[in-house]
Amino acid sequence: MISCRNLTRRFGDFAAVDELNLEVATGAICAFLGPNGAGKSTTVKMMTGLLAPTSGEVRVCGLDPAANGLMLKRLIGVLPEDLGLFDDLTVEEHLLLTGDIYGVPRAETRTRTAQLLHALSLEHGRRTFAAACSHGMRKKTAFAMALLPNPQVLFLDEPFEAIDPVTAKIMRDLLQSVARHGVTVFLTSHILSMVERIATQIVMIRKGVKVWDSTVGDLPQALEDHYFDLVETPVVEELEWLGPSRS
Amino acid sequence: MARAIALLRALATAYRRDWTAVQSLVGNNFFLLTAFFLGKAGTFIYLIMGLVVLFPLSTDPLRKVPASRLPLWPLERREWWLLRLASPWINPMTWAIVALAAWAAGRTVTVSLWALIAGLFVAAFLISALPLPSGGGFWRSVPQFPVRLNQLVRKNVREMLSTLDFYCAAILSAAMLAYRCFGPPLPREALMAMTFLAIGALSSYAQCLFGLDGDGGLSRYRLLPVSGWQLLLAKDAAFLVVLIPLLLPLAPMAGFGGALMVLAVGHSPSVRQPREQTRWRFTTGATLGNGLVQMIAMTMTVSAIFSTSLWFLAAAVAVWAGSLWWYGRELDREGRAIAL
Repeated sequence: MISCRNLTRRFGDFAAVDELNLEVATGAICAFLGPNGAGKSTTVKMMTGLLAPTSGEVRVCGLDPAANGLMLKRLIGVLPEDLGLFDDLTVEEHLLLTGDIYGVPRAETRTRTAQLLHALSLEHGRRTFAAACSHGMRKKTAFAMALLPNPQVLFLDEPFEAIDPVTAKIMRDLLQSVARHGVTVFLTSHILSMVERIATQIVMIRKGVKVWDSTVGDLPQALEDHYFDLVETPVVEELEWLGPSRS
Repeated sequence: MARAIALLRALATAYRRDWTAVQSLVGNNFFLLTAFFLGKAGTFIYLIMGLVVLFPLSTDPLRKVPASRLPLWPLERREWWLLRLASPWINPMTWAIVALAAWAAGRTVTVSLWALIAGLFVAAFLISALPLPSGGGFWRSVPQFPVRLNQLVRKNVREMLSTLDFYCAAILSAAMLAYRCFGPPLPREALMAMTFLAIGALSSYAQCLFGLDGDGGLSRYRLLPVSGWQLLLAKDAAFLVVLIPLLLPLAPMAGFGGALMVLAVGHSPSVRQPREQTRWRFTTGATLGNGLVQMIAMTMTVSAIFSTSLWFLAAAVAVWAGSLWWYGRELDREGRAIAL
């Protein structure tokens, strides 16, 4: 469903993504992991047609995002890094807008909107303008917008950050449910415990280069340990100005 | 005391950087147009400008501090009072009011005029200190439109209603309506001149149609499966929905043609030179050149329709449709990568 061949994106001399090769099957939940600035968002932007690759190729649903942008946009749902919400629309209006734009019949849009608002505990804030929403509400709204048109592929950039545990569980269950219905999910996240529970495929990237790609079952150790070994080892420095330790 | 002074210094820096109220006037077509008309209708135009301009200039500088931050700072009571009493003097308008009071003593400015200006300043200052309602005011109650782009049009209308340009045009329109109802008959030319002013008040907004969408909105545009011309159409529809009711007491048909020309010229800077705008301020146009071209095209079209034939309206529709198609294609070519 998603295929990358030697996908590269350069900004001047800096290679944000370097020769990335990747295959994600239909119905898979692929977690794309890496530290900040590793090239995750750049990769997602190339897959969704928001950024043209410098070289290499990417296919989503068999389409080249750069050449068939409009057609591809009708088939995918995206939760972008900045959520992509309008300050002057309410939570509910964002969902109605999505239904109208993606050609979902009005009655069906209303049904799906009601179900998503209920499932994501957004009912009480349905008439709140995005500008006045908490970050969690904004994220849930953007997530619901990605789901509403029933896309073939879902791209989710950091879906679980700033979300309360209950909603995170609901989102996880929803994603597993849509994957069972054949929707391919491609997500980035820093919350490894959540990734370990939900993902079927793990891809790790460091400085634009892929360093790991396997199913969850093929990981040689716990995901967090493997991530620290391959991607980034945390180094904790003592802050001398805190004074002597009392414990 | 040092803490309060450090805070005042930071506030002054933040306030100076954000003092866009005056900067925005420089690139606004309305002020170009009024400069042209001042000789003929000075007092009335000055009054409207004074009312509309004074309001955004009179905001409380202490609002620059985030509401959740101020109570967290370890300020003593006297430091807080120092901050409260000293911060208004960061606003140059405070100094201007005091200077005007000193100058007014024994001069041509009467005490009552000074009191009116000072009263407006204080009212605006106090209102600005009140928290804005999170649910939005009346300006967010926009009707539904029976089209696929309904929510986009509604959003765009709300954006327009959060600029001072609209209120400036609304005051002009309301004043004209009142005059036509209760005043002596007006010469036809006066209707045309007021139509110029009403469209002129909103025309700068047509140069920066994406200026209030923010990064999130622009990012969403790039994800939506709609063509560039449809995004522009939603913007134009909102512009016309807001402007046409204001033109009803003036010269509606001629005004409609003028509005289409303003939009046709405005598509280019909206797509090629996007400029971020600030709510509750006047819109800042892209360049003086764009403003002049817009004003010339608009006044010629309004005059032609008003004085000669409605056929010029058909020409204006054709020019607008051509511009919509051309710049819609340009939006698609650029991958809708509008960056403010």
